[in-house]
Amino acid sequence: MMPGTVFRSVLDHSLESLIHRLRGLCDNMEPETFLDHEMVFLLKGQQASPFVLRARRSMDRAGAPWHLRYLGQPEMGDKNRHALVRNCVDIATSENLTDFLMEMGFRMDHEFVARGHLFRKGIMKIVVYKIFRILTPGNTDNTEALSLSYLVELSVVAPAGQDVVSDDMRNFAEQLKPLVHLEKIDPKRLM
Amino acid sequence: MRPFLLEGGSVSQMPVAEGKNVQQTVELLTRKLEMLGAEKQGTFCVDCETYHTAASTLGSQGQAGKLMYVMHNSEYPLSCFALFENGPCLVADTNFDVLMVKLKGFFQSAKASKIETRGTRYQYCDFLVKVGTVTMGPSARGISVEVEYGPCVVASDCWSLLLEFLQSFLGSHTPGAPTVFGNRHDAVYSPADTMVQYMELFNKIRKQQQVPVAGIR
Repeated sequence: MMPGTVFRSVLDHSLESLIHRLRGLCDNMEPETFLDHEMVFLLKGQQASPFVLRARRSMDRAGAPWHLRYLGQPEMGDKNRHALVRNCVDIATSENLTDFLMEMGFRMDHEFVARGHLFRKGIMKIVVYKIFRILTPGNTDNTEALSLSYLVELSVVAPAGQDVVSDDMRNFAEQLKPLVHLEKIDPKRLM
Repeated sequence: MRPFLLEGGSVSQMPVAEGKNVQQTVELLTRKLEMLGAEKQGTFCVDCETYHTAASTLGSQGQAGKLMYVMHNSEYPLSCFALFENGPCLVADTNFDVLMVKLKGFFQSAKASKIETRGTRYQYCDFLVKVGTVTMGPSARGISVEVEYGPCVVASDCWSLLLEFLQSFLGSHTPGAPTVFGNRHDAVYSPADTMVQYMELFNKIRKQQQVPVAGIR
């Protein structure tokens, strides 16, 4: 599975206009909001880079399974591709995920709370969310917003080799201008 | 639901030609069940793969290598169970197997240790009985018997009933209460409890000597 992803951000005061436009462009469904707690775990070995796993749980949907995600290194292939492409493995798990990861030797590197809106258009997923820093480890009630913006993420999970997908993403991104300019992130800039 | 497992240890150690005795015993058990009136309902399989922490991870973690078991049960075809002995049991979807491939630099599969049990499922009123031949590679190493009492979800509420039912076809081989319950007698039973029992059974069988071949033909 390879998600293609493009990112950008939009300031708080522009959020309503963006949501309004997304409601118009996306599939007709009940607006879906979410409140998630994500923990990023690392397993250090003698390899140069640690193995990273992301454990995510819903804070507002009781009984939902936990979500474990592995994201590989970004593919450096085709520069004409409009989206960042990475190998990804998504696993639904029972609630004892963090205990299990610790038993495997993983240690938590950082955690955050994400609150926002979810939209879909076909196989594309558009998420508009705000990240909150957790002030006391493990206490998700005491958080503070990381910035004055919302992050806008457009992604698709598709079987490996389907490059046609990133053209659809670019076409969709065009329709969100000038509210937000979605672009492929250069992974080197993040290092 | 409350499965129970028995391993025919004393039977599999009898000194006869390798494999023959296991099969005979399985046939004996299944015939008894059919005489009771149990109906065949397909087959089942439970398998277990063992992983150990790769040497490269051990050094920096400063902890003794642990064994992690990744198991599957045909009763729950969309799930994968990962567990540590005396540790947590994670229930995940089958993409967990794909993750283990990605983790091969950190966790290595002990290849020769894959163990599984396969056999027939029998339904007798509210009881589900599974009699399986436990194999490691090509050799049969023992027998597993799993019994489930469908209507009940709390272990301590139906143990006596299960015991009585077990005695009706296992006779003197009926075992004591599984250790997985410990002091959790009032806890609701879950599939993870079944997998812990299978893991303990498989470990016990692995440690036993293989059935010796009697004489040279």
